[in-house]
Amino acid sequence: MMIQNYVCSIILLALGMYMLMVKKNLIQIVCGLGLLDYGVNLFIVSVGYNEGGTAPLYVGSELEYLAKNGAVYFVDPVPQALTLTSIVIGACVTAMALSIVIRIGQTYGTLEADQIRRLRG
Amino acid sequence: MMNYVEHFPALATMVLFLGAFLVTIFGGKNKTLRIFLAMAAATASFVMVLCVAKYVIIDGNIITYWLGNWTPVKDYAIGIGLEVDSLNAFFALLVTLTTYLSGWYSIKYMSRDEGGDYYYTLYLMLSGSVLGLVLTGDIFNMFVMIEIMTFACVALTAFRNWSKGALEAGFKYLVIGSLGSTCTLTGIALLYAQCHTLNMAQLSAMIAKVGITGNSTMILAFALLITGFGIKSYAVPFHFVAADAYMAAPASVSMLFSGMVNKAGVYGLIRVCYIILQTMGLGKVQTLLVAVGTVSMFVGVTMALNQHDFKRLLAFHSISQIGYVLTAIGLGTALGVAGGLYHAMNHTLFKGLLFLCAGAVYYATGRTNLNNMGGLAKKMPQTCIIFLIAAFSISGLPPFNGFVSKWMIYQAIYAKSAQSFGYLFVTVVALITSTLTLASFIKVTQSAFFGQSRPEFDDVKEVPGSMLLPMWVMAILCVFTGVAPKFVTEKLITPAVNAVMSVNKYIDTMMGAGYTEKITGSAATEISAEQITIGNWTPVMWLVLFGIVLVAFTVVAVFGKSSRGYTNNSKEQPDNKHATFFGGEMATRSTVVGSDLFWGFRHNFKGYFEKLEGIHSGVVNDYAVWAIGALAVFVMYLNAVL
Amino acid sequence: MFNPMWLFYILVFPGALFCFVAGTLLNGLDRKVYAKMQQRIGPPILQPFYDFMKLMGKETIIPYEANKTVFLGAPVVGFVALVTIMLLLPQFGFTAFGELNADMIVIIYLLTIPAASIIIGGAASGSPYAGVGISREMVSVISFELPLVMVLLAIGKKAGGDGVTFSMKAIADYQAANGAMICQWSMIPAALAMLLVVPCEVGCHPFDVAEAETEICEGPLVEYSGAPLGVFKLNYYVKQLVVSALFAALFLGGKGTGIVAADAAIFYGECLLVTFFSMTLIRATCARLKVEQVFKFYWTVVAGLALVSLVLAWFGL
Repeated sequence: MMIQNYVCSIILLALGMYMLMVKKNLIQIVCGLGLLDYGVNLFIVSVGYNEGGTAPLYVGSELEYLAKNGAVYFVDPVPQALTLTSIVIGACVTAMALSIVIRIGQTYGTLEADQIRRLRG
Repeated sequence: MMNYVEHFPALATMVLFLGAFLVTIFGGKNKTLRIFLAMAAATASFVMVLCVAKYVIIDGNIITYWLGNWTPVKDYAIGIGLEVDSLNAFFALLVTLTTYLSGWYSIKYMSRDEGGDYYYTLYLMLSGSVLGLVLTGDIFNMFVMIEIMTFACVALTAFRNWSKGALEAGFKYLVIGSLGSTCTLTGIALLYAQCHTLNMAQLSAMIAKVGITGNSTMILAFALLITGFGIKSYAVPFHFVAADAYMAAPASVSMLFSGMVNKAGVYGLIRVCYIILQTMGLGKVQTLLVAVGTVSMFVGVTMALNQHDFKRLLAFHSISQIGYVLTAIGLGTALGVAGGLYHAMNHTLFKGLLFLCAGAVYYATGRTNLNNMGGLAKKMPQTCIIFLIAAFSISGLPPFNGFVSKWMIYQAIYAKSAQSFGYLFVTVVALITSTLTLASFIKVTQSAFFGQSRPEFDDVKEVPGSMLLPMWVMAILCVFTGVAPKFVTEKLITPAVNAVMSVNKYIDTMMGAGYTEKITGSAATEISAEQITIGNWTPVMWLVLFGIVLVAFTVVAVFGKSSRGYTNNSKEQPDNKHATFFGGEMATRSTVVGSDLFWGFRHNFKGYFEKLEGIHSGVVNDYAVWAIGALAVFVMYLNAVL
Repeated sequence: MFNPMWLFYILVFPGALFCFVAGTLLNGLDRKVYAKMQQRIGPPILQPFYDFMKLMGKETIIPYEANKTVFLGAPVVGFVALVTIMLLLPQFGFTAFGELNADMIVIIYLLTIPAASIIIGGAASGSPYAGVGISREMVSVISFELPLVMVLLAIGKKAGGDGVTFSMKAIADYQAANGAMICQWSMIPAALAMLLVVPCEVGCHPFDVAEAETEICEGPLVEYSGAPLGVFKLNYYVKQLVVSALFAALFLGGKGTGIVAADAAIFYGECLLVTFFSMTLIRATCARLKVEQVFKFYWTVVAGLALVSLVLAWFGL
């Protein structure tokens, strides 16, 4: 059953959005972005799951071995590849965000979102 | 044997990324080398896309290109495919043209900044990612390109990290941009869960089979994708970060943002709504897009009236013009799409040009605050003329290009209003927005270029030729697309509209002939767009107009001789006769600053403007609330009506 | 492709020369009637013509602050735009450039150009008085734009029957078939709104906030002298003619007599009437409004009138 995966990913997404909307500290906002990312990743991996599936890697002899053990399905490998890509991108985004946060901290002397609003109106 | 042109879409994208790596490796020390590398990559990609455009748009081919030759096996796409039809080629043309011209402009404009190698790396990354985005036929590939694009945009926004607000704008952009990417990715995952494919053509066929109405997973995916691409196209209420980013980024980058990054969002919306999910036939979806577009139009332009920073003002106009494009596309008619695409192209031209003008003013004076400028027309005559051309284009005065596309859009909306009263309202808003656009450009003209000159601007000089050249090119294109609308429509717009309107052809070309019939049960007939009657004009009219203007200017030239005592370049004080009128008082420096113009209008809308200023609070959390709120509204609305 | 009649249309009738003559005459009549209303004798009818000729002979002073090209070019561009509108307006059966079949959007935008030319010219002069003037001019353009657009949409709906139309030709045809638009009772509010739009569009007295001589010394025109000022004055006269002709084309069309000359005579007679009711009468009886009052008036009262017609037309009345 994958239902708990979906529930969990939705909770992660919701928490991420909550942090973006409510948390005022920039680091916490970056955490929120991270949570969003994890939520989506979990979701994509879960999409690729087939009930009772085995690992999606096989060449001739492995296939025979699996067939002997009664495996008919294997899980969808594409979402796993997607997740990997997405994780890498997420890591880059976090790194970038944190580096900007450091510079903001140096320039503005604060990390409170309420005070970092020179551009408005 | 494939035609060699069929390799070009992939190559054009790759050469930009390759350029980015080469600039990082070799361009660190040597300025000339990195500029050479960057321009070589941009030029190569531009030339290749031109070839592709000729092959696709003029000759009427569709390029399908499977990377690594992973062609579909048993009707399932397993590799990443590029599919270039006229729509892709049209947008690719816009992207590479913008890149190329911005590259020329950057040479001088960025020469005073440190870290030129980072700039060119990011510039090429951004161009490559947007080009990849518009050329790809694989939806996950599209997502990856969006992420690279967001990444490069953020870095370029924060590039001048010493200037006011650049870091802050970068951070806000990152937050909202990532939110948008997350929405897109979730939407893609949902589509994958339903259809088990990432290829757009195959997705389209599968979804046509399942149908979207009543399928809440599909509807959720659709809402998420609309939100994701809406954020990339900076429609209201996702526009907050755009204004900050356009303002903080260097002008050559602002041009890229408004010229191609938000076009990428528009392209994504067209792809998603017309091709992948094929929802544009549904009246409720049309209502949604038109509503978003109309609100963008009006909010953008009224916010622009309130600005006193040159580039921030332009940024809000970008939002307003994208509103026009979205409205037109949202109508779901061939004429609407034609108007929308035409306006998208025009927006690339005139808004890019305006940003370049703002950059030129900044380069010459070091200022972007309109309240501290004045009288630049005499110091920078060419920039002034170019600016006027661009300003008239965006305000839609004939015979410039903005007029043609707006005309098409008005007609498309008004034709729709035979069905529903709401569209009459949209027509009125569109027309008023156009006037307000003119008003706010009058403000820029008055406070930056005309009015009394400032003593500190005595040494200001015209910007160098390598900056003027791309500006002139765009100005000429603005006039050309304005006076030869029939030519442009026939050669460029109609094929693209045809591509948008014939979904089944798109699917069949990608997945092999007969595929659509197999999946959906309906044969692939080429649905050519209904005759696009671009209003009631003929190009002759513009020739006539042009002739009269020419005659009239000759007359003026004769009158001009009668003026005496005009000292254009002399430094000495003018005699009293040629001084400005002050009712007998001694001439003092007194000028009407931009912020004070139009108070008669703003006075009556005081409450509205105050509210709007409150909404643009500058707090990133508020912006996130707007974006997520809009997502929630889209989800609920679409679930309720579909 | 090239039709030799075009040159005649552009240069003589109803183009440049005719605009010049009819515009100055119309303004002269307007001033005469205005004077009669105030129990004065008033200037001779040819006075605007004399004014124009006199200005043409005067020295043109270009202020030191001004941008020469734009300063001199602006009035001419405005004049060209006005003449172009004249070429596109249907006068009963006759339209000079009928085959172009231009529509209302073109007219709206071409009508913006004269205002824009005043604004750009004023801005180019570099005077702060002009700065105030152009801001007011722009606000009055925004003011009348909303009701004007709504009136045109209402007419388009009415003339379009089941659908809608932007085409001036369709409107002229509708009136030829069904009688003048003003005879339709649902269009009367729109006609009233349009009558009020006309003076603001032209910029004559109660709505002349931009040029307010007594406050800001003719605003955008303050630095102008000699020939360019003459052309701007001419623009004013021609604008009176063109805008009242637009009213006549929209509301007072009809079958006509079939004879071009007679049609033209009737048409310009109608223009004279429109000028009298919308400009002379209001001018003689009202005091100048402030700019924010103008704006408020147009976006509430006049736009409201237009909206009534729009809604009525929508319901097919």
